[in-house]
Amino acid sequence: MRSLTIRDLSKTYFDAYAGSHVDAVRGVSLEVTQGEFVSLVGPSGCGKTTILNMIAGFIPCSGGEIRLDGRAIHGPGPDRGVVFQSFALFPWKTVLDNVGFGPKMRGVPKAERDRTAREYLELVGLAHAADRYPNELSGGMQQRVGVARALANNPEVLLMDEPFASVDAQTRMTLQEELTRIWQERRPTIIFITHDVSEAVFLANRVIVLSKGQILDEVDIALPRPRVWDKLHEDAAFKSLSGKVLQLVRSA
Amino acid sequence: MTLLLKAWGYYARVSKRWPVIETLVPFLPLIAIWWTVAELQIFPPAFFPGPAEVAQSFWTLLYKGILTAYLYDSVVRLAVGAAAGIALGIPLAILIGLNWRAHLALWPILLFFQAIGDIAWLPILLIWFGFGLTTMTFVIVYTVLFPVVLNTVLGVRSVPIELQRAAASLGASRWRILTEVILPGAMPNIITGLRNGLGYGWRALIAAEIIVGTSGIGFMMFDARRAGSVVEIVVGMIVLGVLWYIVDNWILAPLERATGERWGLVTK
Ligand SMILES: Nc1ncnc2c1ncn2[C@@H]1O[C@H](COP(=O)(O)OP(=O)(O)OP(=O)(O)O)[C@@H](O)[C@H]1O
Ligand SMILES: [Mg+2]
Repeated sequence: MRSLTIRDLSKTYFDAYAGSHVDAVRGVSLEVTQGEFVSLVGPSGCGKTTILNMIAGFIPCSGGEIRLDGRAIHGPGPDRGVVFQSFALFPWKTVLDNVGFGPKMRGVPKAERDRTAREYLELVGLAHAADRYPNELSGGMQQRVGVARALANNPEVLLMDEPFASVDAQTRMTLQEELTRIWQERRPTIIFITHDVSEAVFLANRVIVLSKGQILDEVDIALPRPRVWDKLHEDAAFKSLSGKVLQLVRSA
Repeated sequence: MTLLLKAWGYYARVSKRWPVIETLVPFLPLIAIWWTVAELQIFPPAFFPGPAEVAQSFWTLLYKGILTAYLYDSVVRLAVGAAAGIALGIPLAILIGLNWRAHLALWPILLFFQAIGDIAWLPILLIWFGFGLTTMTFVIVYTVLFPVVLNTVLGVRSVPIELQRAAASLGASRWRILTEVILPGAMPNIITGLRNGLGYGWRALIAAEIIVGTSGIGFMMFDARRAGSVVEIVVGMIVLGVLWYIVDNWILAPLERATGERWGLVTK
């Protein structure tokens, strides 16, 4: 049961100002099975966002292919939910309508999609904020809405590009713990991009280290769940895995 | 000093209760100066009537039904012209804003015609369509069109790509992205364009009525000039100002607040 298959993926940008080509991604192959939680880490500019944008279908690939359950990917679609670093909530919609947006596009009647939206808001602990507008929420709350909105559409894969990078350190830890809890409850397939090594290790089953548009190595994270920072913080296994990944990233 | 403070506190409370007072109070000194200058008879009264004469003329015109009839004509012309301008302008702007080929083809033409101000069209319009409704409608539609188009294009283009991507990855079709993301995202700009367009349109309409009119506030003012009635001209000027204040402050500005500010797209 293979969920997402990436074969020999590459991307060449043309930089119009410099008049030169940039090989952002060079021959990346990767398989993500259903229900897996994979983190992609690597230094800035190594091509993480480019890979995610190609999987999401936001930009075309220059070479290789991406298949989801055997079907080749063309353009964005509801089978791949995306959580953005900038949250990308619709400012003119209430929190409830933001979360219900996916079901609305599928033609789900209002009453039913409101029920679905409330269920997912409950999941991220924001049931009380249903009628508020995004600009009335803190960054951490906005990203909870972003996660709920993506999950409420029941995607086959959840793509997250540094989703917690723009919230404060305490909130980030809470969000990370919540995400692992949600993953354990619902088992969505997640591809999580970050440049924060401890975040990658804390969250994932498998950490893939990228370097200059290529996969450098991967590390299995066999830490027990549920994972909470209070316990893992001083955990020897966590520390040694983080150290290992950090070394890889720094050698990248 | 305390008396002054007390009076100020009283004013603040009352004007909070009836916001109209806040609008009217700034005009009191203006009217006082006007009244003083008129009373001192620096200029002959026939040239420079005071507030009392103007108010009296206002009631007479209102009583005869001329003012209401002309006001109605002007407002209907503005409404029809504005509606046509919007119906034409918004689709055009969406096309230009979303399609780079359309942008390439239409943008220079748009800027070219923007430079030919509304009134500059009148000479040729008068030859083509004569003194009548067609000429006037053309001028208003023309005037409303440009602010609406330019602002809407700006609005459409400034909708963050991330929002469109988010919608697409939630299953929105191109059409739904337009109606659910691009149009609401551009709405604050569209309303600003509308506000400007109606403001220019109102002025252009009065100018057109003065030149080609057979009715309307602009015509009334010009007709009064022919009769040498300064009082009626001043009535016309005041009506223009008051009406625009009502439209802008009670309709357009709240609309702008209800969209942009509520959503946090513009700061209060
Ligand atoms: N639209 C573009 N045009 C030209 N070059 C681009 C474009 N987008 C990205 N690049 C280049 O491609 C490379 C990879 O960029 P990418 O955004 O995927 O990196 P990243 O790993 O996400 O980095 P970060 O951690 O800083 O977000 C970089 O060298 C970048 O300059
Ligand atoms: Mg990035």
